[in-house]
Amino acid sequence: MLKVENLHATVGDKEILKGINLEVKAGEVHAIMGPNGSGKSTLASVLAGNEKFTVTEGKVEFEGENLLELPIEERSRKGLFLGFQYPVEIPGVTMANFMKIAVNEQRKSRGLEPLTAAEYLKMMREKSAIVELDAKLTSRAVNEGFSGGEKKKNEIFQMAMLDPKLAILDETDSGLDIDALRIVATGVTRLKREDNATVVITHYQRLLDYIVPDYVHVLYKGRIIYTGDKTLALKLEKEGYDWLINDYKEE
Amino acid sequence: MTERLKELLATRALPHDGIIGAGSWCAEVCGDSDITVREGVAAQLLIVDGDCTAEVNIDVERGGELRILHVVSHRSAVNVAVAMAEGAKCIMSQLVVSPSDTRVVASLMGRDAQFDFGGAFVLTDDDAASVAVDVNHISSDCVSRTVVKGVASGESHGSFSGLVYVAPDAQRTNSEQLSRNITIGNAHIETLPQLEIYADDVKCSHGATVGQMDADAILYMRQRGLSLTTAKRLQIEGFVDDVVLHLSIAGVEDVLMELMAEKLNRL
Repeated sequence: MLKVENLHATVGDKEILKGINLEVKAGEVHAIMGPNGSGKSTLASVLAGNEKFTVTEGKVEFEGENLLELPIEERSRKGLFLGFQYPVEIPGVTMANFMKIAVNEQRKSRGLEPLTAAEYLKMMREKSAIVELDAKLTSRAVNEGFSGGEKKKNEIFQMAMLDPKLAILDETDSGLDIDALRIVATGVTRLKREDNATVVITHYQRLLDYIVPDYVHVLYKGRIIYTGDKTLALKLEKEGYDWLINDYKEE
Repeated sequence: MTERLKELLATRALPHDGIIGAGSWCAEVCGDSDITVREGVAAQLLIVDGDCTAEVNIDVERGGELRILHVVSHRSAVNVAVAMAEGAKCIMSQLVVSPSDTRVVASLMGRDAQFDFGGAFVLTDDDAASVAVDVNHISSDCVSRTVVKGVASGESHGSFSGLVYVAPDAQRTNSEQLSRNITIGNAHIETLPQLEIYADDVKCSHGATVGQMDADAILYMRQRGLSLTTAKRLQIEGFVDDVVLHLSIAGVEDVLMELMAEKLNRL
């Protein structure tokens, strides 16, 4: 589904990604961990198509297509979803209206008719239930005045509405209390199928108790320096990154 | 477009003496008109402009209530003066989508009068427009609120000037004035908020901002599959909708949005 080869990216004249290799297949869950500043969010942004970053080298294939050639919105319509670490407030634009446009843009690009008002309302009801999102929030402006927990639930609600092939969740667990974490993680798990895939970027093992990863990667200084299974996250939680970083330095 | 507005409002044309009763009325202004809302009457007034210069003088008598929707979609220069007697109330919304000069002068003549103004101007191409709102607090215990949002794109030029004048006797005045603006590309917006206060027991606030579009919000919307154009339009709509729609006459929101959408497509 996603194949990243030797990906290098810069912001300004600073190189942040220094040769990322990563392959994600349908049905898989990957976790990306790593100390602050290692490039985790940059990787998510570059895959989503944030124009702030420049790709200087490497290839990214998504569903057999050259992802790097596509503008942000095209990547989204083709089924790539990014859950933002800091969801953005959009004053005056209601959540319901925003998602309706988003869903219909996606349908249009797939040659489908727009949803009728009744179909759309039904869909919103069903999907908001997945993350126990208060239905009242959908009539409010996007993320405006939402609590930290509501913003993250709202990200997963949007993910449910857009039903992506590949979801990249950038620190969706940061700033969540235990209950919100459980709700958000359960939501993600419920959306998991054999034909889609999830990449979760996280600092904490806690999230991975709910979203059980097939692979755990450690990103350090712009490279994936180690890949393991779910037990790696437990080891990192206990022992930190030092043992890996020291190994890496010796190489 | 204004035809549809009139239909929606089922408005009647102004009577010769300008005295309007309860219900909805329409003033198509060309030249001068005088309008009176009698004591205790609640009325709605749609002001639409022609390609001309006009002066509209409105009196709202004691305890009267007038809701005004002012649509400026032609090249015009319109002055609207509203005088409010004791306990009278005027709620006015204004949408400017054409090169024009408009000035609103609201005078709070009697105690406990109230003036609430929400306006937006959306300019594109080489439009040039000015919007002025002067609020005169003549009597004590009056409340006024002015919010004007401006959007300018292309080579357009917009200006807002707002004056809040508080007379020596107008104690316990409560006044708020806010000018918020977004410029896109080479467009310019000037904003000139002014306060002139001669009473000492008053609460007056004012603020003005000129900024650009929120790049993070655009990125967020595009990540959800909205095109750049749609994302920009939605953001601008969201920016201006709250002032115009919230204060406007119920039932005409769709028409206003359509009028705005036509303009936003040119951003």
